Amino acid sequence: MKPEDRAWADLQRQAAVHLRHGFADRVLRAARGPRATAWRQLYEAAAARLRPGFAERVLRAARRVADLPSLSSQLALSAATAALCLGAVLYFHNRALEQADARNLAEWQKIVDAAREIDTSGL
Amino acid sequence: METTSPTALTDLVRRAQKGDEDAQRELIVSYQHRVAGFVYAITNRSDYVEDLSQQVFIKMVRALDRLQAPAQFESWLFRLARNTCIDQLRRQKLRRIFLPFGEEHENIPEPAGAVDTEELDALRHALAQLRPQDRALLALVQEGRSHAEISEILETSVAAVKARLHRAREHLREHYQPTHET
Repeated sequence: MKPEDRAWADLQRQAAVHLRHGFADRVLRAARGPRATAWRQLYEAAAARLRPGFAERVLRAARRVADLPSLSSQLALSAATAALCLGAVLYFHNRALEQADARNLAEWQKIVDAAREIDTSGL
Repeated sequence: METTSPTALTDLVRRAQKGDEDAQRELIVSYQHRVAGFVYAITNRSDYVEDLSQQVFIKMVRALDRLQAPAQFESWLFRLARNTCIDQLRRQKLRRIFLPFGEEHENIPEPAGAVDTEELDALRHALAQLRPQDRALLALVQEGRSHAEISEILETSVAAVKARLHRAREHLREHYQPTHET
């Protein structure tokens, strides 16, 4: 063997040492991408995470959720309560105003009557 | 529901829509493993599988009466599952903004290889490098959804689905390098 051939062979040997075991398989796998078996294993691993009685738990939870008032009905109830409160505030405010007006008118009427009395007595 | 014919499935969905609990249970049992796998593929978190699958099926039971075409049940169910997973990942991302230390606690790496095979471990590693949207795309393909169905689910064009799928597959292949292997 010529010295340069020996050098090449040494170089190849040196380089080959850096390739980890299973190099060809890894290259092929990387080139092909994941096989169907890998996906199947993923699905099986996920399925194994579901505890027994999964369907029953879901149905129970769905029933519980159904018993709770929906967001829209809660919003409607809040809006109705707010409207009722506002209506009550306006009603009592108006009533208070009307009573104050009546009181003021009565006071003014008294003043008018007194003024009229003074006028007539003065004449 | 591989063994059920489309007509039988449609009948089952119709019964479930009328509130027949046995039919609802049958639907859940028939699809729970597929939905669990789908959730795992998108979230890449095995601890999310049970909770998110449960959320998907609760939504299914509650919204089933609004499904107008029972024949489209599978597409509809996987759309629900996809949206539930993406919403969960978004919420998790938002939570991280307000709880900066949460990420360390949420992303505790699962013990790779403890029970997984080398192939599964490599797939999980590759999926983890992809965006959730791309993982969802690949999972929909694994579920046997056609390009047209996926385009409906994602509300985009078939051409866009093909392009995105091509890129997602390229990325998956790129990261399906067992560099983390011992």
